[in-house]
Amino acid sequence: MIDLKQVNIDSIAEDAILISWPDVIAPAIAEQIVFIKHCLKECGEQKIIDTVSSYTSLLIYYRFDLITSDQLKALILKQLAVISSNKNPQVASDIIDIPVYYAGWDLNEVSDLTQLSSNEVIDLHCKHHYTAYAHGFVPGFCYLASIDKQIQLPRKATPRAQVPAGAVAIAQEQTAVYPMDTPGGWHILGFTPIKMFDIAQQQFFPKIKLGQIVNFTPICQEKYLDLGGKLHKEC
Amino acid sequence: MFTINKCQQNISIQDLGRPTAQHLGFSGTGAADEYSFLLANQLLKNPSNTPALEIILGQVSLRFTKASTFVITGADCLARLSNTRLENNKIYHASANSELTLQMPKTMVYSYIAIEGGFECQYWLNSASQAKNEVSLGLVSPRIKQGTHFTRANINIESVDSVYQHQVESHFHQNDKLTLRFIPSNAWSTLTLQQQQQIMESSFTIAPASDRMGYRLSGNPISSKLPQQLSAPVNYGTIQLPDDGCPIILMKDRQTIGGYPVLGNVARIDLFRLAQKRPGESVTFLPITTQQAQAQLFAFYSQFQTRAFEHLDSSQPAFQNS
Repeated sequence: MIDLKQVNIDSIAEDAILISWPDVIAPAIAEQIVFIKHCLKECGEQKIIDTVSSYTSLLIYYRFDLITSDQLKALILKQLAVISSNKNPQVASDIIDIPVYYAGWDLNEVSDLTQLSSNEVIDLHCKHHYTAYAHGFVPGFCYLASIDKQIQLPRKATPRAQVPAGAVAIAQEQTAVYPMDTPGGWHILGFTPIKMFDIAQQQFFPKIKLGQIVNFTPICQEKYLDLGGKLHKEC
Repeated sequence: MFTINKCQQNISIQDLGRPTAQHLGFSGTGAADEYSFLLANQLLKNPSNTPALEIILGQVSLRFTKASTFVITGADCLARLSNTRLENNKIYHASANSELTLQMPKTMVYSYIAIEGGFECQYWLNSASQAKNEVSLGLVSPRIKQGTHFTRANINIESVDSVYQHQVESHFHQNDKLTLRFIPSNAWSTLTLQQQQQIMESSFTIAPASDRMGYRLSGNPISSKLPQQLSAPVNYGTIQLPDDGCPIILMKDRQTIGGYPVLGNVARIDLFRLAQKRPGESVTFLPITTQQAQAQLFAFYSQFQTRAFEHLDSSQPAFQNS
């Protein structure tokens, strides 16, 4: 259930309204955000330019030449009311399984910092299901949460200049797969051979959709190479 | 149609950006100064979203390989076409083999060269804009360098009348101190009146580490600590306040999500002005309402013959994946 009094709807720019939920990472909030996005897409037609969501907030870009901010706020309130009378908005789809070769550059360091064995770190990372909360940072990067408290660590003090595509990493209560080679400051536990996005006919398809459930499965080096994985030398 | 003779990674292709792809993590991107960009296309009677070259601080030359009609807007780079000194905002006809040279402008940052009928470039999600951090993905035209060649696009336009007089406000960019009107955030309203007063009475200086992604301001650091929150979507013009008290204003090549506390959002037309200010220049802040900002922006787009969102009418909302 959603308490409408805890949700803020604010006009933050000429063409943008921000909906903010209480500032706690929770799968129920993620479901509501995905649900609202779908509803606005259905009823907003050309009036909605785009929506960007994160853990507890949803930014709606709209055509202020076609709809006023008050009209859009009313539309949002109407959709929120639908959710508040519906305990389980049906938005979640199938679970995504991501195979990981746990030979990450930071596995030993994470093991030291958490005073757990490498195998315990791997087990704790694999044992939980994660919710996909946000796309951002770089295209195809999807923020997943929450990881086990025992392996939560702050970001690395100095980010790496280059993290390879496929790196599976953790930071605070989040985990993610780097979709492409990019600088990055998260702790790398392993590598996946799976591509995190596809591009076809001027369209971009992220592997993980928002609101989806993700889990990680350990694979051996042989299987990793079979699936097209590459061995990365730390740089 | 023309070839770049000289440049230093300071040219990019820009149009009105990729606002419908932000949910995928792509930057909104687009021309830093929409006034000068739209003016260029308007003067040439190009469709308003026709890609143009955006040049940072001049110092570029190009050779026309075919006769072309073009216009330069934005920062005045004392341009020359072969030996003729050119003025901004005027239509010129270049003959084949003539060379266009731009010097370092004395004021402002961005200049735009628009070509009648446009030039060919690679589109990605309805825009040819080259966002700083995304060019390397290879989805749009490659980064422009010495020797990059452009060919004519087949955009249908009306023929250009050289004496065409535009009805556009000609003093959009001013030399004096810029007042950034902004729509205050919820966090702003948690500040005391005294704290708000202090920010409004302060003058901030644009810091050297300012670019197409964001403008950093220095000055008397804002001492009011705002609570850290989970990363949330950020917008063009979001005023972030990191712990050091020095505000950052997010510009066209911004990221889509950010973690710093937010003071508010700068009115879009003031962002076009801010983009043309250089490090060392000063700005102040003044709160306004969303309705005031919308009215200003609507009036701004109305000066141009095309509507504000025309470029979105034909685009496919890129919603299918989230």
